[in-house]
Amino acid sequence: MNEYRWTDLKVGLDAQFETAITEAAMKGFAEISGDNNPLHLDEEFARNRGFPGRVAFGLLASSFYSKLVGVYLPGKFALLHGIDVEMKAPAFVGDRLTVKGQITHLSDPFKRLEIKAAIVNGEGKTISKAKIRAGVHEPA
Amino acid sequence: MSRDTIIQELVPIFRDVLDQPDLVLESKTSASTVDGWDSLAHVNLVVAIEKKYRVKFALGELQALKNVGDMADLIEKKVKKS
Repeated sequence: MNEYRWTDLKVGLDAQFETAITEAAMKGFAEISGDNNPLHLDEEFARNRGFPGRVAFGLLASSFYSKLVGVYLPGKFALLHGIDVEMKAPAFVGDRLTVKGQITHLSDPFKRLEIKAAIVNGEGKTISKAKIRAGVHEPA
Repeated sequence: MSRDTIIQELVPIFRDVLDQPDLVLESKTSASTVDGWDSLAHVNLVVAIEKKYRVKFALGELQALKNVGDMADLIEKKVKKS
C-alpha cells in the first residue's frame, strides 16, 4: 500500500494495477447489493440477450476505483470524497482488467486531489472512465 | 475584471456544485444564507474556482472570507498577480 503524504503528490503522478472479475466477487456483490438481476447471474438469460456471457455488475467493476484511491493514489491516508463514473462497455465474468489513474489537480487548502481514471479490459477496450475526488488525511 | 463581473462568472459554478439551478449570488451571499453550502460543498466550490481562474488559494486566505464578495475580491487580486 502506498503512503503518499500531501507534499509527495504532484500533478501527473500516476498508478495502475491489474485485477479480474471473479466468480467469488460476483457472488459477493450480489449478496451485498441485493441486485439479483439475471443479466448478472443467469448465463442463459445473458446469452439470450445477445451478450457472450453474464455481464459483470457495473458497480462491481467500478469498485476498483476505490482500490485505486485507497491503496495506490494516494493510498493509506486517502479519504474518498466522490467519483463520477461513466460506463462505456460491459465487463464479463473472468475479464482481466487494468485500472489506471493520474492526478490532474491538487488543491492545497483542503488537501484535495482530483484523479482522471479509467478501467480497460484485456482487449484494450475502455470499460469505464472516472473523475475521482479525494482528500489526504495524514497524521499530524 | 470587476467584483460584479466575477460574481456573475461564479454563478454557474455555484449552481452546478450546489445543484441549485436558480441560485442567485450577491456580494453578501454566504454559506449561512444558502442551503447545502456545507463543508464538503465548500471544498468543491474552492477547487472549481481554482480550476476556472487557474489560481491557487492558501487556507488562511479562505478563512478570512466572509461572503461571495470577499471571494470575488480575492479572485481579482489573484488573477492580477498571475
